[in-house]
Amino acid sequence: MKDLSSAEDQELVRAAQGGDMPAFEELVARHRDKLYARAYTMMRNEEEAIDLTQEAWVKGWQRLGQFHGESSFGTWMTRIVINLCLDQLRKQKRQRTESLDEINEESGGVERQMPVVTVNPTAGLERVELRQRIDRALGQMSYEHRTVLVLHEFEEMEYKQIAKEMKCSIGTVMSRLFYARRKLAALLADLRKGDTQ
Amino acid sequence: MMDYQQQLDLQAYLDGELSEAKARRVAAWLAQDAEAAALAIELRQTRSAVTGYEKEIRLPESREFYWSKIQREIQRQERAEPNAERLPEWLKVIRRLLMPATAMAMVAFIAVMVGRQPTGIPSETALTDTGAMTYRDFEKGATLVWLSYPADNEFADYEAAMFE
Repeated sequence: MKDLSSAEDQELVRAAQGGDMPAFEELVARHRDKLYARAYTMMRNEEEAIDLTQEAWVKGWQRLGQFHGESSFGTWMTRIVINLCLDQLRKQKRQRTESLDEINEESGGVERQMPVVTVNPTAGLERVELRQRIDRALGQMSYEHRTVLVLHEFEEMEYKQIAKEMKCSIGTVMSRLFYARRKLAALLADLRKGDTQ
Repeated sequence: MMDYQQQLDLQAYLDGELSEAKARRVAAWLAQDAEAAALAIELRQTRSAVTGYEKEIRLPESREFYWSKIQREIQRQERAEPNAERLPEWLKVIRRLLMPATAMAMVAFIAVMVGRQPTGIPSETALTDTGAMTYRDFEKGATLVWLSYPADNEFADYEAAMFE
């Protein structure tokens, strides 16, 4: 393949499946930021996100033969990196104590008693600022709540798919998602209050 | 006051996860209940705040440096286990199917060998690769065989295939 930069993803994938490494390198260059962003949002750690995306690319190369184009190449690679992140987060969870969020959620759901946020906490904010606030709020959540939000809102997965990825029941997904949304609304509202004080 | 299940149903309704009949029931209830309506607004606002507003994050390494690490790792793994991961899918399936058969054959072989032991002492034999173990009691003339299926290494392959 001569002109890699103008080739479609599908052509590059076909070439890479045939062992063409420069074609695969072009695919890496095209999708590396998206994969890194997904890993970083889940892990909240730059080094881990870099390591996990690299591992995902190595696995992607090795499993190219199993990619038949049911989804886009970017989506396929994103699933690989999400699974690696979830594995890593599970390992880390086994080594630490429960977070306050997990205890809150499991001890009867404080989210049920949270007052409803009546004012839109994001109204009037610039796009960049809104992104930063959401990112900061996500950083204050446990990995289960952050992940369920990421998979539902950013990856647009259904409850069933999320349950499969996170190896839990649909009921747990619903409960985590509800808690995460209510907590996010409260955190965004708090950040807004902080502005006016 | 809404109970927890109603709150989760409301969320599922807003996410389009309910059956038609259940969605109609929740919609009717939502139209009459001020508390449910307020919660629905909050959930919608939170969702729209998040959707499409993921912070733009760029990989903090140059294209060349990042790729050189990936390429090195691919080459290292290919040297360590040439073509293992790139086998055609049908060959991997055959490999997976043959593994238990191989384990059974090994167990049978060990059982025969144990049966030929001249002593009358009960003996145990563990096959670490297959996760199988045999126990022979000569007095009672009995041989027990434990098989752990799938064996650890095979399960890893199976999981890797399911992962896709």
